[in-house]
Amino acid sequence: MSTILDLHTHSEASEDSRAPVEAYLNWIKLKAGERRLDGIVLTEHRQFNRDGDYRALEDKFGTMVLRASEVETNYGHMLVFGVNEDMTRRFDFADIRLDAQTLIDEVARMGGIVVPCHPGRPNIGLYQHYQSKPALNNVVAVEALNGGSRKGEDERSAELIAKHGFAATGGSDSHLVSLIGLCATKFEADIKTIEDLVRELKTGNFEPVDFRPKRKPVPQAVAMESR
Amino acid sequence: MALEFDPAIINKTFEVTDPVEVKADKIKRYCEALGETNPIYTDEEAAKKGPYGGIVAPPSFAVTFRNGRHFFENVPRFGRRGFDAGKDVEFVSPIRAGDQVTLSSHVKEIYEKTGRTGTMVFVVIRSTLKNQKGDVLAHIDHRFMNRP
Repeated sequence: MSTILDLHTHSEASEDSRAPVEAYLNWIKLKAGERRLDGIVLTEHRQFNRDGDYRALEDKFGTMVLRASEVETNYGHMLVFGVNEDMTRRFDFADIRLDAQTLIDEVARMGGIVVPCHPGRPNIGLYQHYQSKPALNNVVAVEALNGGSRKGEDERSAELIAKHGFAATGGSDSHLVSLIGLCATKFEADIKTIEDLVRELKTGNFEPVDFRPKRKPVPQAVAMESR
Repeated sequence: MALEFDPAIINKTFEVTDPVEVKADKIKRYCEALGETNPIYTDEEAAKKGPYGGIVAPPSFAVTFRNGRHFFENVPRFGRRGFDAGKDVEFVSPIRAGDQVTLSSHVKEIYEKTGRTGTMVFVVIRSTLKNQKGDVLAHIDHRFMNRP
């Protein structure tokens, strides 16, 4: 059995999102015909949010809610999966100048995994940093598809993945309810817990899925004389 | 380089305004401007029978109160550029006609983040509205973005 998870979401616990978790789950239910999603991972900005008990909502909507973090480093933004107390003691998640290599190595040592997100995004993506700094070691996967990407950003991510042989994930990066699940990650394994997710992310046995509606081509303008 | 500021400014009230009386007529004119027709805001007799026993203001009325003269000089700045990044308003209790409303303001939070355009420093000023009894009516969080 496969599992499809949106690995990158922000709820109202992030300062720039107003999306309640319940509203996300309700939207997933409403859109089940278009976007099959088994669960979401809350990746709040610069924090690991332990607040909130989502078990009742998980039961009500039949959708899994896991927790991770999005932190900021000298190589851009990164998702940290499998956050535990050792990690929150070792790193100040609010620090926007975390050392990426130290984070990747230490999180791995403490049982988690770091996945650089929106790598094609200017200033906060791995692609741009790789133009002027040495490549990072021990990067297993990066986010190939991001629901908030602008033109060219996912293409730069694809170029980076092809060059370095990274495994590829997808996440909506939703800050608004209706954007949840637009991009996600399909795992071959059955995932029920954050430990399952970390284990599978380390294998590289997954692929990004894109539920974004295809853009309609802009109609060509026709000169008046040729009509 | 890490952000430098005096942590003592966080949560320290820097300004409390003089009380401003909320007049029923002002609520009525506010409703007219918005096209709001609910009688609990405008009709004294209907409002008496309503859930609050008298005229109250629509929740968004909370943002009509002015901050004090020294508000902006107490907003910490980081760098020379920036903009108003919006407001969050938490409505706590209804504002009633006849209330004497004061605003007290403090720096709630200063934090950094990075985005497509570079590093940003956000300053959040919380203004709390209270009535003459000391009841909290609303919290308004003003968010200012600075480009260091």
